[in-house]
Amino acid sequence: MLSANGQVLERLLKGEFICRTSDEDSWRLLKNPHYREQIESHLNVLNRTVGESGSGSDSEVFFCGYQTLGDAERKVVSAQFKEIVNSLIPLSQWLMLVQEAEGNDTPLTEGVPIRLNEIQTTIEETPALREELAKLSHFRLFGSQSAMVEGQIKQIFKRLVELGYLLRPNPEKQHYIATGKIDYLYEVIRFINETEALDLEAHAEAASAQGSLL
Amino acid sequence: MSHNLHQAGSKFLKMMARHSDTIMDAYLAGSLGDHKLEPKVQDKLVKAGVLYRPEPGADLHLRHAVRNLLEEALKDERNRQIDANAGSAVATFKTLAQHYTESRHQGDVAASDAYYRDLSEHVYAFSEGLQHSIRVMWSRINNEFGYVGSINAKIRENELAQSQVSELLSGLEMISFEELADISGDIRELRRLLVSNLQQTITGCIQELGVVQGRLLKLLGRFRHIQGRAKLLKGWLLYTSQHPDYEVANHVAHKQLPMLFNQAECIIAPASVDIQNATHEADLMRQAAQVKSNQLLRNAVSEAQHAESVVLSENEDFELNEHPIKAAVSNYFVHVIDHVKPGADSISALQYLEQEALDYDAESWLYQVIGGYEGLPESQKEFFELDPEFDVLVPFANVVIKDVSVGLR
Repeated sequence: MLSANGQVLERLLKGEFICRTSDEDSWRLLKNPHYREQIESHLNVLNRTVGESGSGSDSEVFFCGYQTLGDAERKVVSAQFKEIVNSLIPLSQWLMLVQEAEGNDTPLTEGVPIRLNEIQTTIEETPALREELAKLSHFRLFGSQSAMVEGQIKQIFKRLVELGYLLRPNPEKQHYIATGKIDYLYEVIRFINETEALDLEAHAEAASAQGSLL
Repeated sequence: MSHNLHQAGSKFLKMMARHSDTIMDAYLAGSLGDHKLEPKVQDKLVKAGVLYRPEPGADLHLRHAVRNLLEEALKDERNRQIDANAGSAVATFKTLAQHYTESRHQGDVAASDAYYRDLSEHVYAFSEGLQHSIRVMWSRINNEFGYVGSINAKIRENELAQSQVSELLSGLEMISFEELADISGDIRELRRLLVSNLQQTITGCIQELGVVQGRLLKLLGRFRHIQGRAKLLKGWLLYTSQHPDYEVANHVAHKQLPMLFNQAECIIAPASVDIQNATHEADLMRQAAQVKSNQLLRNAVSEAQHAESVVLSENEDFELNEHPIKAAVSNYFVHVIDHVKPGADSISALQYLEQEALDYDAESWLYQVIGGYEGLPESQKEFFELDPEFDVLVPFANVVIKDVSVGLR
């Protein structure tokens, strides 16, 4: 049997993200400075380190990064960066679609449950959302061939579970829970926004001001 | 006097109970149209001060006091009313305390008693009101302002709650215990009521309000965080759709790699089995057994593929062998049909058992006969009649069936 430390190490080295929703025990262990140091020293042997994103008491995500970067590591990191950037647009469009289908003004965050059936009904009834979904499902990230709403949305959710953005606690039910990897996405957007000075918030405000004027 | 008041009060309450549906309608809908009420009822409720018309021609509304009572009783979250006016309450305390000391000096025991009762009522009501306000605050915090939908409304509600808390706190600061101690002088009851009791309550409330304030600020921070995220997401989508040729800069090319993008490759591959490890032996054996059974399964499947072609032909007739005891019961029935006239006395089951020298236990035979009778189709059943012969055993009136006989109707 694996010890708690071993479990954390295994998950990190598998390239998984550890958040409160996906694995609360491991997450708590990493929050504890003493254990975190132990994990860190184990990882350092392999030129790895514990990376984290997000701030605040509950919303932190841990993952495994390189301690020092050589040429080989840089290659891996830049390949991964490309992957993240490529999936950013489909994922953010998906986030918006879920938010609109649920009629919320708050975007999806870690720990929020999604009921696929409810979203599916709303999308089926709203032509604009149906169109959005069809566009979304043909991204390479999701790769759906289906022409029906049900097939498209199920494929998207299946892919998101595979990629670790969602959890499906009960395989017999179409209920999903967002993981900390979703929060990681926001951090990426925030980072791009800040370093490239895109001023995205002003864009959003201008758009909503226009909307209220209309 | 008090008897009259008592009577009038209970009459009023009964009237409210009689019209409880109307009152709840008004509470839930906010107002009641004229057409929904009979003029007589409307008149009565308006006169009693339960409903009122805020301006001529407007719908009827529930009076504030009644609404408050309902909100309190129903623990309704929409109740956002908080009475932050500590100043006037304290002024009332002072006045009543002065009345009390004066009447005490004059030796008017009845009047001073009445003032004291009045004063304590006010003090208790004040403390209760404070505690109620704090409770309301907590309930708002605990469901995160769940009674409003949008995040902007939540932020506004949070700001309202914060201003109410600071108002409450500044109101409580105004209470000067020195002054109250001066007024109560050396009268023990007054000191207990106005100084020690009140002070205790207020210190507790101030402490709790401090905690509430902290929580509200934290919650506001969270709301703003969520709002920031919503804007970020929306802005990002807008920006990328407005600038289709936009490409994210290569942030990993910098010398100093942001931690956010420093993700290591996964390096754990599936481990191999160690067959030398004795502790794994049981598990491995089980796995091996499964492998074998899988292979068998596959063989079975492949054989089925070589099956000969199936020829469809009619099935040969076959007969189901009836169980001997069931056959014996049928024979008994046939015997009855053949030998017994309708309505006449029949041969009983046990007699038949003896006569035919059947080798069954008497009791199972009886069960089988009863079962055989009950198992007949309804159309055949009506030709037969089952006549049990029984004893009633005295102490507990248990019925024992000794024998049955089947006859024809």
